[in-house]
Amino acid sequence: MKHPLYTLAAGVAALALSASAQGTEEQQIFAALAMTKAQESSPIPTDSGVFLYEASSGEWVRTGPVIQAINSIETDPSNPQRVFLACGNGIVRSLDGGESWKMTSGWRESDFTKIAIDPVDGSNVYAASVWGVSVSRDGGETWAPANRGLAQKYSRTIIVDERKPKRLLLGTADGIYQSNDGANTWRPIRSSPKLTILRIARSEADSQLWIAGTEGQGVYLSRNDGKSWSQSAAELADRNIYAVAVDPYDANNMAAAGWGTGVWVSRDGGKSWQARGDGLPSQNVTSMTYDPKQKGRLWVSTFEEGTVYSDNGGRDWQDGGLFGAYVFDLGTIPVE
Amino acid sequence: MKVRIFKISRFLPWAIAVAALPAFLQGQAPERFLSDAELAIQFRERCEYVIDQVVENTDPSNTKRGGMFTVAANLHRGANLEWARAHIREANQNPTGAMFWMHPMVLMMETGRGVLNEDDWAFIRELWRTYFPYRGDTENHWIMYYASIYLACEMFPEAGPEHWYNGKSSAENMAEAKEYISDWIRITSSYGQGEYDSPNYIEEYTRPMALLAGWAQDPVVRQQGKMMMDYILLDYVVESLEGLYGGAHSRLYPRYALQPSLTAGAAHGWLFFNQGEYRANAGNTLIALSGYTPPPILYRIAHGRADKAYVQRELKRTRWRLRNAGPDAFEIDGKSTTPVYKYSYVHPDFILGSSQGGLLQPIQQQTWSLIWREEDASGKTNTMFGLQPYSSPLEGTMYFPSDWDTVTDLIARSKVDYDSPDKLEGGSPYEHVFQDESTLIALYDIPEGARFPLIHTLFSRDLKNRVEDESGWIFGQGGPVYVAYRPFAPGVWKEVDWTGLLKSGAGAWFSTNFEELARGSKSYVSESLKNGYIVEVAPVSEFASYDGFMQAVRALPLEYKLEPSPSVSFTNLDGKRLTASYGEQLTVEGRVVDPTKWKLFDGPYSQAERESEKLEIRFGPERYTLDFKTLSAETKILESE
Repeated sequence: MKHPLYTLAAGVAALALSASAQGTEEQQIFAALAMTKAQESSPIPTDSGVFLYEASSGEWVRTGPVIQAINSIETDPSNPQRVFLACGNGIVRSLDGGESWKMTSGWRESDFTKIAIDPVDGSNVYAASVWGVSVSRDGGETWAPANRGLAQKYSRTIIVDERKPKRLLLGTADGIYQSNDGANTWRPIRSSPKLTILRIARSEADSQLWIAGTEGQGVYLSRNDGKSWSQSAAELADRNIYAVAVDPYDANNMAAAGWGTGVWVSRDGGKSWQARGDGLPSQNVTSMTYDPKQKGRLWVSTFEEGTVYSDNGGRDWQDGGLFGAYVFDLGTIPVE
Repeated sequence: MKVRIFKISRFLPWAIAVAALPAFLQGQAPERFLSDAELAIQFRERCEYVIDQVVENTDPSNTKRGGMFTVAANLHRGANLEWARAHIREANQNPTGAMFWMHPMVLMMETGRGVLNEDDWAFIRELWRTYFPYRGDTENHWIMYYASIYLACEMFPEAGPEHWYNGKSSAENMAEAKEYISDWIRITSSYGQGEYDSPNYIEEYTRPMALLAGWAQDPVVRQQGKMMMDYILLDYVVESLEGLYGGAHSRLYPRYALQPSLTAGAAHGWLFFNQGEYRANAGNTLIALSGYTPPPILYRIAHGRADKAYVQRELKRTRWRLRNAGPDAFEIDGKSTTPVYKYSYVHPDFILGSSQGGLLQPIQQQTWSLIWREEDASGKTNTMFGLQPYSSPLEGTMYFPSDWDTVTDLIARSKVDYDSPDKLEGGSPYEHVFQDESTLIALYDIPEGARFPLIHTLFSRDLKNRVEDESGWIFGQGGPVYVAYRPFAPGVWKEVDWTGLLKSGAGAWFSTNFEELARGSKSYVSESLKNGYIVEVAPVSEFASYDGFMQAVRALPLEYKLEPSPSVSFTNLDGKRLTASYGEQLTVEGRVVDPTKWKLFDGPYSQAERESEKLEIRFGPERYTLDFKTLSAETKILESE
């Protein structure tokens, strides 16, 4: 494993997300994290926030304010100047590409885990939290609970169906729920396992293909656009899977990882899985994503032992920085 | 009984004399009656002493040390001003600590009105613009956060969103904070606190409430602060013994579990009620500066109620449960919680108190405890408690938004003892506790494969004359009380030797002096999975001798079985037959004790119905009523007909 030097650019408290060239939209990798490895005799991580990966320099550069417990970030697909942070404190929003920020939620909302934005009408913003779902109909200015139909409110992940923007999938402590009316009501998906769903991802190459990571029952796949789900990766059937991803260029390539599992990959659309943990700095994986620019590149964040990437399906891993971090969410966002 | 309102100054001395009559008849000289004015003067003198001590101990040559509480005391006195200005800057080079940064800053700012100059204020306001505090994950975090941001914004009511870290204007922040504070008060006075009765964390509530009581300009918020101060102090005083907080607690650190006189509660006991010894305490500094004065009835309860034992029943609730809430959970405004039933027997010489057991709090729950009176409690381990050491991701993820696989590790980064079999606090799902007055029964049913398959009970170095009797009872004497402990399964004696090591090998801050604190105390450890014990407590004064006590206990009828699950039938020293089975309710003389109907407060000195938002504080014929719906506090004197 090579160890090129990646650094966490320090002191950039509010780097504008709109810094890239010519004002054109592109996808950029982010990491929402807390620096916990050096945390000792204290409940407070030594650093926290969201960092964007600058491919040209190989550096992770902070964006947004320094707040403890930022769990994820999302930008409005129709207007990447509008940025949302899912925080322990609530929802923190920027309307100017990260130049200025405002906490738009109030005392009733907290501990957000994931945000989804209507790609057609950006005034509809959906946010999952451990206390349930909150929805905004005014672009994140105000928030209201949206839990009708949920057996358990605890929610870790939420995704909007970009082809049918009123359709959402939600990962709760009672399995996967679906809404077809913009989070006004929720219904359980019958074939979903009735346990905590940690992560849901959808294939960009095959819109019928969805993948979910669970707490205690490994990986689940749906091949009919989320309508029914079945267990995959028998080797991971009783594991906690925090990270799942599908290659945006090839739906046959997917990956799953969790606690003590290392990384497992499939090259046949989930029919078979192979362990690719050798060379990882730790077998405890908290997050992963495929690189939107570098075809086939898989990024993986391990618990406190750094983030790595592989360009050959996990056979070799390269150092990607972020040593000491607990990465809650590793993904991509559109930026201008 | 007819209620009439009298001028208190005229009738109260007479009324208090009547209230104190039982003590007089028992041969104890009642304390001299102190008028409201005298109590207020004495309290103010203690406040001034606190401030004096802080100022005197300030080192103006060292701008790196001090803290904002010390700065505030100096600003209040007009002392060491150059040091204060320098230290404000030095200490805020890299703000951290969230609400623990916010509320001392607000205290400093309030005491700095008219003292700090423009440059000082510019520096301070820049901090509030740039440092984005975390709101936290506990009840005390949130109330400190919102009390602080409210007051900070109230100082600059016209400030726009560009002046505050969160991009909200002063008006927006104040409106949000007012709503949260009101809601917290409503829930607390309706269902009980979630982080209830903590000898450590009591000051994390009195600090923000004293800030509001002392400095809020809005009369509603100011009144809320004052009334909640009264409420919290009543909650404490009815289960205190010479300033020590007795009974079951939501949270307690190990060093304080071993030595109750070290707690913030004990420090408050000195400040508010002149009980115990003075100890430097940041909460006391803030309160002393705030100008808050407790209602005199609390002092009278602290000093006048100890002539007769009583039962105090209280309803609290668990911290909010975000998942795995369990069958007993109910929702308040969409968040799950579970009732906590607290029972305390408050005797002039001891307090034996308990909750029902189970996972009522993450990490630091003390399910039951005994404390006893000591002439000087300083340095004394005048306590006894037992637990089943439990740690699991189930508990962690029930209360924290962390992952199953990391939550235990992350908890133990700061609460080092959480994942230790030798820890001295914590709840367990395998523990059920029952109590009737001075008799406590604990039953355990620990499944195979449990992380720490054992229970242990503290026998402190100050529980003297320990006797392991052939009858199976273990006897001891702590101060003016005899204690009898009857384990249902054999155990062994072990040193209380846990020192709380971090991963690096260093000791956590709360392990400081732990060896000194623990030395000489023993734990009685039993590894039987089906288990239980009885604790029977009696005042020395009720027996002619220690032998007499032991002989009486040996003769008490006792039957128990551990299979298939623990159950016991026991007749106590008062002749009452108690039966208890694991997972079921206590019976006393054949009658089931059903705590599910308990009031919020039910004792001779406090009465509150569930969801009433009203608390009546009683002493003799005096009635002091806090009505949070009307935000009124009213005193009445009853006239008996």
